Amino acid sequence: MSASACLTVAGINLLVWCRDRRAWANLLFSLTATSTAAFALCELWMMHAGTPAEFTTVLKLGHVAVWLLVVSLVGFVRLYLKAGRPWLAWTVCGLRTLLLVVNFLVGQNLNYLEVTRIGHIRLLGESVAIAEGVLNPWIRLGQLDLLLLSIFVVDATVTTWRRGDRHRALTVGGSIVFFELVSTAQSLLAFYGIVRVPYVATVSFIGLVGVMGYELGSETIHASELGRKLQESEAELHEIQERMRLAVEGADFGIWIRDLTRSEIWATEKWRSLFGFSATERLELDRILQRLHPEDRDAFRLVLQKATEGDGGYETEYRVALPSGEVRWIGSHGRVEFDGAGKPILVRGLSHDITGRKKVEQETQNLRQEIAHVGRVSMMGQLASALAHEINQPLGAILRNAEAAELFMEDKSPDLDEVRAILADIRKDDQRAGNVIDRMRGLLKRKSLDNQPVDVNELVGEVAALVRSDAAARHIKLEVAVADDLPPVSGDLVHLQQVLLNLIVNGMDALDEVNRGDRRVSVTATLDGPKTVEIAVSDSGRGIPADKLAHIFDPFFTTKVNGMGMGLPISRTIIEAHNGRLWAENRNEGGASFRFTLPIPEKDATK
Amino acid sequence: MSGTAPIVHVVDDDTSFLTAISRLLRANGFSVKTYSSAHEFLTQRDAYAPGCVLADLRMPQMNGLDLQSALAQSANPLPMLFLTGHGDIPSTVRAMREGAEDFLEKRAPKEMLLNAVTRALDRDARERAARERQRELRARFDMLTERELEVLSHVVRGRLNKQIAADLGLHERTVKLHRTAITTKLKVQSVAELTRLTQEAGIFPEPVRTFPKGQ
Repeated sequence: MSASACLTVAGINLLVWCRDRRAWANLLFSLTATSTAAFALCELWMMHAGTPAEFTTVLKLGHVAVWLLVVSLVGFVRLYLKAGRPWLAWTVCGLRTLLLVVNFLVGQNLNYLEVTRIGHIRLLGESVAIAEGVLNPWIRLGQLDLLLLSIFVVDATVTTWRRGDRHRALTVGGSIVFFELVSTAQSLLAFYGIVRVPYVATVSFIGLVGVMGYELGSETIHASELGRKLQESEAELHEIQERMRLAVEGADFGIWIRDLTRSEIWATEKWRSLFGFSATERLELDRILQRLHPEDRDAFRLVLQKATEGDGGYETEYRVALPSGEVRWIGSHGRVEFDGAGKPILVRGLSHDITGRKKVEQETQNLRQEIAHVGRVSMMGQLASALAHEINQPLGAILRNAEAAELFMEDKSPDLDEVRAILADIRKDDQRAGNVIDRMRGLLKRKSLDNQPVDVNELVGEVAALVRSDAAARHIKLEVAVADDLPPVSGDLVHLQQVLLNLIVNGMDALDEVNRGDRRVSVTATLDGPKTVEIAVSDSGRGIPADKLAHIFDPFFTTKVNGMGMGLPISRTIIEAHNGRLWAENRNEGGASFRFTLPIPEKDATK
Repeated sequence: MSGTAPIVHVVDDDTSFLTAISRLLRANGFSVKTYSSAHEFLTQRDAYAPGCVLADLRMPQMNGLDLQSALAQSANPLPMLFLTGHGDIPSTVRAMREGAEDFLEKRAPKEMLLNAVTRALDRDARERAARERQRELRARFDMLTERELEVLSHVVRGRLNKQIAADLGLHERTVKLHRTAITTKLKVQSVAELTRLTQEAGIFPEPVRTFPKGQ
């Protein structure tokens, strides 16, 4: 009965090990249970042995089971409690192996040198056999081994207890020690004939097997519960993943995750299709960077680098050049994850196709430039007479000089010095006319922004030169004050001139109803902080009515009879494209002031 | 006309053009003076000398049209010639209405420019002579007494001494004495000459009727 119970426990633990090959503790305990069962059968057999020879043979075989029992128990304690001194374990096992050898070589078995007769006693109403004979002195070593085993288990149990795993220490360690001591005591009593009982050492082991079986079984149940929970959370995780996938696909996002420690990159199918990779292709950072448009590659590297050095977040836009030759705009944002030491370990990114948006933006940009161009042309129309005057001035001087020179040359002894002076003047005036034409052509030419260092003096000076004669004809005093030592600003000279021209013309238009002596437009340029230059165009007009101040930058809003209402919105667009600001205010002393700021490039910024 | 040679005054803020045009005018035998602003011209010019003004229409502070107005009110209203880089209609109309001699583009043909200058100088000479004669006539008429002027106003209307005497409540002999004094002071021989001179001097604002109504 006890043997079959042991075998059942052994079977269960074997099954556990079969299901999970890592459960070595279960395998070992299965062996322990099996050997206990085997030894129990031997004991049963010994109790019914008829002759001393039969008794000794069975006992000799039984020691094989004991060897296995001890070795597997030691192994089980080591694995299950993860405690116990290895040298003790090796000593116990080694000694037991030595005893097994002794069992077969010295005397009839380990216990007896010779069994002389079989006695019979009554146990639980049944007659059972007990041995009588000469004891083998080696048995003391066997007893020492059992003692060492006890010490080993006690030590392991104490360690487990101290580690805090008290339940395991009590149930496993405690029960092993208890039952082992009981069985040792019982067998000692039996051998030395103090108590006449048969060998029933295994009875106490069956207790141990029962406790252990319960313990391991409950763990198996616990494990299966965990398994069920795991399944549940896996299902939940799957559901979340599905929802994520749906959301990501719905939003047309591709996800990529770059593991920096293992330098592996994982990406969703959508991401792969965005970048033109097949579903199975291996992803490497270099290959991905190769897909980027050559002009955007360095910028993207920089963004990633900044993200790893900064707070981890990044957001960027770049072009991807697909193998098919198609160019796709990608909007991307992501986050770098750091470990405890602040070392980047993971980059997660979200990418989506923004080609459509970019196209619209590009079209808007083109349209804006178109409007800017038209605005410029119409403004030039207004200025045409002023410009014709500007050009006719030097041309007139050239003509008159040439005519005078012709007359001088008709003289018999012409004054050559005078003629030379005339020629020099002609050259100078020609240059002057050329400059005017260059300025005008620059203003008319359609160009996208071309940022260069712009000298503020030059910017203000050239525009002032363009409008000066027009201002004079309209009795307007044009005052220009550019602060000394202004650093160059970053911008497109032609576009900035257009803005300034527009503001000055507006200012002059505001003066039509003002008395002649009071017509003033002033242009000032000053440093506004270390990184900004502020340029202001102020007039001495009536100012901007409060109800209109909020609308003057709206497209098509105009207060002029012939105005298009585009000058200020275009100007603001241009200034904002320069990372500056353009705003209007009424001055305390009367009149309006239009101000705009322009950034000074980092390297030129004043301290 | 006084004895001094007429001067062409050129006013332009563009010194380069100023130099060039003065060279050309001098080469063509004109006396030229140059000024870089209207103000400079008004303060530096000889108040009575003959000549003409060649001024740029567009100049800072005081432009050509303002100069024209200022000059017209002066005692020596020289004829104005306007120069412009590129003429616009409103300025042209205004300039011509205010009696500008001509309106020229800076790159106008040389002949046109020289002719215009010559014409302006001729006109100045003519107007100057007319002004001189006017002044002289005025001086003569200024010698007449109140009563003599009253009698004259009747005479030039062709009224007889008897009628004048009745109108003014004078004796016919007294009227005769006044008439003699008038012809002597004005140095005229006949009533016809007296009438023409009175008209020329513009003494009486209403048009002089040679023949009285109803006769």
